[in-house]
This record gives sequence, structure tokens and C-alpha cells, in this order.
Amino acid sequence: MSDKKSLPVAIFDWFDARLPISSFWRTQLTRYPAPKNFNLWYFFGSLALLVLVLQLATGLFLAIHYQPNPDLAYWSVLRGIERDSHWGWLIRNMHIVGASAFFLLVYLHMYRGIMYGSYKKPRELLWLVGIFIYLVLAAEAFLGYLLPWGQMSYWGSAVVTNFVTAIPGIGKPIAEWLRGSFVVGTPTLNRFFVFHVFLMPLLLLALVLVHLIALHQVGSNNPDGIEIHENVNETGWPRDGIPFHPYYTVKDLFGVSVFFVIFFWFVFYNPGGWGLLLDKLNYTPANILHTPSDIHPLWFFLPFYAMLRGVPDKLYGIMTFAGSFALLACLPLLDRNPVRSIRYRPVLYKINIFMMPVSFIWLGIIAHGSATEQNMVFGLHVTEVFYATFLFLPFFNRERSLIAKLAWFLVAEMVVWGIDVWMYSIHAHSWHLMLQTDWIPATYVLLIFGLSVLFPSLARDSGKLPERVTAGGIFH
Amino acid sequence: MNHQVSRRAGRLLLLVLATGLLGIVSPRASASLRTTQAPLKQIKIDLNNKPALRNGALYVLHVCTACHSLQAVRYSSLTKMLGMHKSEFLRDIGTNGKHYHDLITSNMSPSIIKAFVGTTPPDLTDIARRHSPDWLYTYLTSFYVDPSRPTGVNNTVFYNTAMPDIFAPYQGLQKPVIVKGFRYGSPAEVAVGVKPLTQGSMTPAQFDRTARDIVNFLYAVAHPHQQQRERIGPWILGLFVLLSVLTYLIYRIYWRRVITSKERWWKITR
Repeated sequence: MSDKKSLPVAIFDWFDARLPISSFWRTQLTRYPAPKNFNLWYFFGSLALLVLVLQLATGLFLAIHYQPNPDLAYWSVLRGIERDSHWGWLIRNMHIVGASAFFLLVYLHMYRGIMYGSYKKPRELLWLVGIFIYLVLAAEAFLGYLLPWGQMSYWGSAVVTNFVTAIPGIGKPIAEWLRGSFVVGTPTLNRFFVFHVFLMPLLLLALVLVHLIALHQVGSNNPDGIEIHENVNETGWPRDGIPFHPYYTVKDLFGVSVFFVIFFWFVFYNPGGWGLLLDKLNYTPANILHTPSDIHPLWFFLPFYAMLRGVPDKLYGIMTFAGSFALLACLPLLDRNPVRSIRYRPVLYKINIFMMPVSFIWLGIIAHGSATEQNMVFGLHVTEVFYATFLFLPFFNRERSLIAKLAWFLVAEMVVWGIDVWMYSIHAHSWHLMLQTDWIPATYVLLIFGLSVLFPSLARDSGKLPERVTAGGIFH
Repeated sequence: MNHQVSRRAGRLLLLVLATGLLGIVSPRASASLRTTQAPLKQIKIDLNNKPALRNGALYVLHVCTACHSLQAVRYSSLTKMLGMHKSEFLRDIGTNGKHYHDLITSNMSPSIIKAFVGTTPPDLTDIARRHSPDWLYTYLTSFYVDPSRPTGVNNTVFYNTAMPDIFAPYQGLQKPVIVKGFRYGSPAEVAVGVKPLTQGSMTPAQFDRTARDIVNFLYAVAHPHQQQRERIGPWILGLFVLLSVLTYLIYRIYWRRVITSKERWWKITR
């Protein structure tokens, strides 16, 4: 009696007829073709998903013991969670390290997309949803940072909610509406708690789901940037594709294991992360009457802090800061060259993409320093480089004539020096101070366009793309 | 060929750029906020030294708690850290008349202390996470006579501190070692060290021991789970190292069908 089903199979079939279990498993995992040449950079997406789950799980336990009230919040964390509840310290350390890990993974995941052109057609929407995930994640981190009610929590939130007041006319009412008060206080803590544990996680989960659905609709890109679906065998299966399960599930398991070694090293041996993952000033309860001499965000927001500090006007500062998000969102519009992967783009393009994280990290280092005028000007000039790495992308869309190259060079230099002239004209900074660092963007402009004039081959697309994906790199 | 050359040129350029940048990135000393710092004295923390921890606990719970609280710590949670039984703890250290499971609060009310010294003394629970042990040790031992202050003393690492020199009876008074330096960017005479002025009830070695024990205890209170963390840590890390090896082997076994190990080139699947 071969057609007689055993009981477990019958039960499964009963559910399978009513829920798309096996068809989902098949289409999304065992018959989902993933390119076979994923390299090290392709670990970070799944790891970010893992950290999201970790944050939700640890956050649940923290929320059980946390008191969203200014009189109790600080001590509910340091006494109730860390000292009085069993394993509370472990849960809290995991949540702290998890927050930083989330940002590190998301930054690496984004840079992977930038390097391999994963924002280009047909993945523009996928990229845009990713940017929204990043924005919600940033909001989630900012809201959560207030909850321990330490000095840096309090004053960090005070500074950020004050930014909003820079918007002409409606800024002040909006800031009061956000805080629920004229200053950061009880209503602020209550609503930040609700947003942090309820609204933002919900949004984050929904957006991550949309991100995954969009990914599976258009298919994964790969380090060579060539479309695997354009080369299929007679059954319609991409010749360069392998089933996601089991190949990438076993590979990601390896990635998860290695990630946990690093993650738990921090959790058990360095939960404060040299004062970078958790500011030391946060071991002082919030004091509304005592402003710390140096207020700065955690490491993952430091580059944006340098941008804000670099511009001697609150509104323009916020526009610079928001502009960097807008540039990220506009990547599909800026870079319209059909070649996706950095591997097959010209040398100067490679340098430009390389300078993107370099200037970003550089901004972070500057913001980590004290708020001297020198550091502010330094930050402004490196911000110009960061902006340039995005705004120069259209230059590489096709081969440019000599006249066009010279025009790009002149306009870019004029903008760089124009900003300094403007700063001088509004008496923001002295030339003496600005000349110390404005050679940085000026030289960068000279490097990209000067070399493209002298050695046109450095800015020329070779036009050679491989027929099939290629192996190479770590963990191919 | 041309592609090869441009690839190589690109890598060279990246290398030059990266090394050049590293030179610039190094943070510069900012001129406008320069403050001459007194050097910190080094201290070695030893969480296993129970006699030192008990001595530190004695001073913190009987001297410091006159003004300071340790609001997140219960007397009962200290016994394990100090390696004592409840009866020993109650006999040798005591709870200042409070219940054994009570939180350690200051003996004077905060408002009275504020009237005395002008500010509320910080809670000491996590003071060793707020400041480094070296800083705390230097702070406790570096009060010097300064007639311009209401308390009559100042401190080399915490300029114009509101805390009076409660160690004076033990340590004796000290005078500053002054150098010409900067404070918040302006030239100023800065105390970078101290020298004994009068003799206290303890010898310098005894007092140094006491200060170290106090910092050792404060560190232990601020890091209540450090020993537990470091005991469990190797097992958890070991587990994931082992898992990494195993999952890597599984990955290689599965992927044998996809890549040939010889040329690291793709086999055509399906």
C-alpha cells in the first residue's frame, strides 16, 4: 500500500493544503537560484537579520524589567537589570553590543551594494527600501539611547530634538510635539520608550520583510554584477545559480558562528567597547542642571555629527546631514552606467568608491575629537570629499570629452573654494584656519579629474564583461 | 593587456592614497582647549584579593557613605564578593544600622550634604565605570592645600573639586607641585603633583595601601559580574570557535559539488 500515508505526513499534508508551506520552502529556498560566486561581503545581510532577531529577543527581557520614568529609569537599568535580576547583565550587554553590531553589519551590507552596483536596475526599489531600513534603524538607536537616562542619553536627546527647532517657523512647535514638553523630560522618556519597543521595531520588521520580498522578486546581484537569469539552461535554471538551500544556508551558518565568536568576545570581555559602544558619561544619572562639556553620539553616528559641526549654521548643518541620506537614496539616479560591479569599472571610479568609506570613517575620527574650531573646519572639508564621492558618480556614466573633464574640474574646484570664500564672507572662519585643511577636497578634485585628463584610460570603461560569473576572493 | 595595466595602476594608487591618508588621519592636539594634565598614578586591580576588598569595603561603607551612596548595591550582595559569611560580614563590617538586604544609601541626607559642600556627591556604584581606576586612585591621593577654596583643598586631577580632603587625618596635608602650563587654553599655573606637608596618622605606605584597597573595592562594586563573565566567556567562545570549524567543514563538503578545489573555478552545476 504505497499510497497510504503515515500519520506525520498526513498531518503535514493537511497543513500544506491550507498554508503554502512546501511551496514557500521550494520557491524561496530550495529552488531559489542564488549566484554561486557570493564572497565574504555577502555574509552581512543574513547576519544583520540575525542581529535584528537578537535585539528583539534581548529587548523583550529588558523591557520587562525597565521603568520608563525619570526617577526610576537609571536605577532600573543599573540596579534592577544589571544587579538584581538573574543574567540581566548578559541580556543588557548583548543588547548594547548588538546595537553596535547592527550598525556595523548594515554599513558593510550597504557598502557591498555600492561596490557591486546592487542599486542599479532592476534593484532600485530594493535599495530604496534598504535606505528606509537604515533610517528607521537610526531612529530606533537614537530613541533607545535615551532610555538608560544617563547624562549622555539625556543631553544627546536634548541636542538632537533641538536640531528640529532650526526649521524656520514650524521647527519649535515640532520639537515640542516630539518631546511632549519644552525640554527633554518625563513625557519624552515615555514616548521614546513606546516608540523604541513598539513602533520602530514593527516598522523595521515590516520593511525588512518588504526588502526580502523585493530581493526575491528581482533576484540577488553578485560580485561580478552580471545577470545570472540571462544565461539559463534548457530547464530555465540559471547556469551560474545554485539553490539557496542548502548551499548558502550552510555557508551562512559558518558566517554566524564566526560572527558569534566576535560578538560574544565583546559581550563577555569588553561590553563597554573601550567607551565606544557605551559612553562612560552614561554612568552618571541624567542631570537637567548640568550640561556635559562634550556631548557626542555613539560611534555609528559620529560621521554625521562631524557634518553637523562642520557647518556654522544649524539649518544648513541639518541640510548637509540629511543631504547625505538623500545622496545615498539617489545612488540609482547618480550612477547610471550599465556596468554594475566595481571589478569592471575604471581605476578612478574604484578610487572614488574607495574614498566613500574612507572619508566617512575619517569624519567619525574627527567628530571623536573635541569641538575645536580647527576640528569643525577639518570636518567641513572632509564632508566635501564625502559629498564629492557621490556627486562625481555621474562623471563616470560614460566616457567624457576633454572639454567635459575640464568643465567638471573647474566647477568642482569652484564649489570647493566657493564654500571657503562663503565661510570667510560670513566671518565663520579665518583663512589661516581654512587653508590648513581645504587642500583635502581641492586635491581630491585634482586627483580625479587631473588624472582623467592626463591618463584617459584610467577613466574609461574597458567594456569587457565576463560571460559567466568568476571565482576569486575569500570564501569565493 | 591594457586592462591588466590599469588594474595594477589602480591598486598602486589605492595603496599610495591609503598610506597618505593614514598620516593625515592621526588626530591633532587642539590648541584652543589645551589643558595641562597631571599624570595618573597606576593601580593594579585584583578582584581575588579578598583581604584588600574587605579593607576597601570597611572604608567605603564607614567613611565614604557618610556623604556618598551606593544606591544599586545591597549589603547582602557584598558578602559573596568579599568571601564572607553573613555573620562575619555583620560582625566585621556591619550595615550602619540598616537591614542586611537594604540598599547602601548615604548616612546624611543629600540636602544636608548639598548645603555643606554645594553639590550632591556622586553615587559610587558605578564610579569606577565612569572613571578609570588609575584616575580614581590618583584623585584620592592628590588633594593639596589651596587657601582659595572653601574647603581649603584642591585636587590635581579634578580642578576645583567640591569634595573636602577627608583623608587629611590619615594622610596628612599635601602641597602642590606647580608648573607653568595651560588651563582651557589659557596659560596658567597648574598643579601636576603633590608633596607631603604634614604627617597624618598613617605612614605613607599604609595610606597608599588604603587608597588602593578603596579603589579596588569600588572597581569590584562597579563590575559585579566581571569574574562570572570571564569564567563563562572561554566556554562560550570555545563553543563558537568549535562551531566555526564544524560549519566550515560542512560548508566545504557541500560546496565540493560547486567548486573544484584545484583551480578554484566553478564547476557547471545543473
